[in-house]
Amino acid sequence: MSEAHLTMGAHTAGPMEAPPFAMLSKKLAMWLFIMADVMTFAACVAAYAFLRNATPDWPRPFHSVTNVAIMTLVMIASSATMLVAFSAAKTGDKAGAFRWMMITAAAGALFTLLHIRDWMGMMSQGVSMLQNPWGTAAFGAAFYSITGFSLLHISVGTVALFVVAIRYQGGRYNADDIEIVNLFWQFVGLVWLFIVPVVYLMNLAR
Amino acid sequence: MATAEGSRIKKYGAVYLALLVITALQFFIGYQNIEGSSLAVRMLTFAVIDTILVVLFLMNLGFEKRLFVKFIVLFMLFVLATMNYIWTDSFRLLLFRLTGFSPS
Repeated sequence: MSEAHLTMGAHTAGPMEAPPFAMLSKKLAMWLFIMADVMTFAACVAAYAFLRNATPDWPRPFHSVTNVAIMTLVMIASSATMLVAFSAAKTGDKAGAFRWMMITAAAGALFTLLHIRDWMGMMSQGVSMLQNPWGTAAFGAAFYSITGFSLLHISVGTVALFVVAIRYQGGRYNADDIEIVNLFWQFVGLVWLFIVPVVYLMNLAR
Repeated sequence: MATAEGSRIKKYGAVYLALLVITALQFFIGYQNIEGSSLAVRMLTFAVIDTILVVLFLMNLGFEKRLFVKFIVLFMLFVLATMNYIWTDSFRLLLFRLTGFSPS
């Protein structure tokens, strides 16, 4: 065995550094990702607010927000079911955790479909990234950017929920992985609770 | 198992109910004849309450180490506060558009 091997072996056998904030590295990584994502979403919302405030003829096209209300209800319900899944995983209830995660993923899929339906409604009224029938062209770009970014997160989160649930059931993942996906899912739900008032409720038709 | 699941659902029921009530209030306010900054302040106040509930209870930040909580909260507040530099320019643009002046 070479001297280099002996040196490396001695190095790896030494004491490991304590994890920062006494938490798992992957959990800390998710929190750092969420912090970065908060900044991205905050930049989107700030840009939207800037445009809306600086534009006197900003459109107020939403006559009914029934679809958005249903989407919000689905999202809040999925936050609760995700939490129940995490709680079940912590107590070792594997079947319960899997079942509640699949329910959460189904809610995520339903939310995605409702979101696409909302977009199709807007498109059928002539709203695109470059124009709309009501006023400033920036409205379409701002609307699709901010809601699209949220939709991207939710659809990716839905896929992640399915994957983690299946791998957890198969024994490859444990309760820590469910905690991490729970963090992400609660975060995307929270973002939606900001988008609803800023994009929809403050632009209801009078 | 059904009892254990029942108790878990009860545990977070209060937070879930609070989120539902706050969101319902936001929809109710949206349909009132409130305009401009007072509407924005009310909507954002409820959104901030939502955030506190979700971050503390659903994301379990309240159960993490105090140092980590400080790190997250201070860093986020700093970033969100510094983003508010946009408002002066936004009002400047609005003024130009309303009065017909163009920025030189």
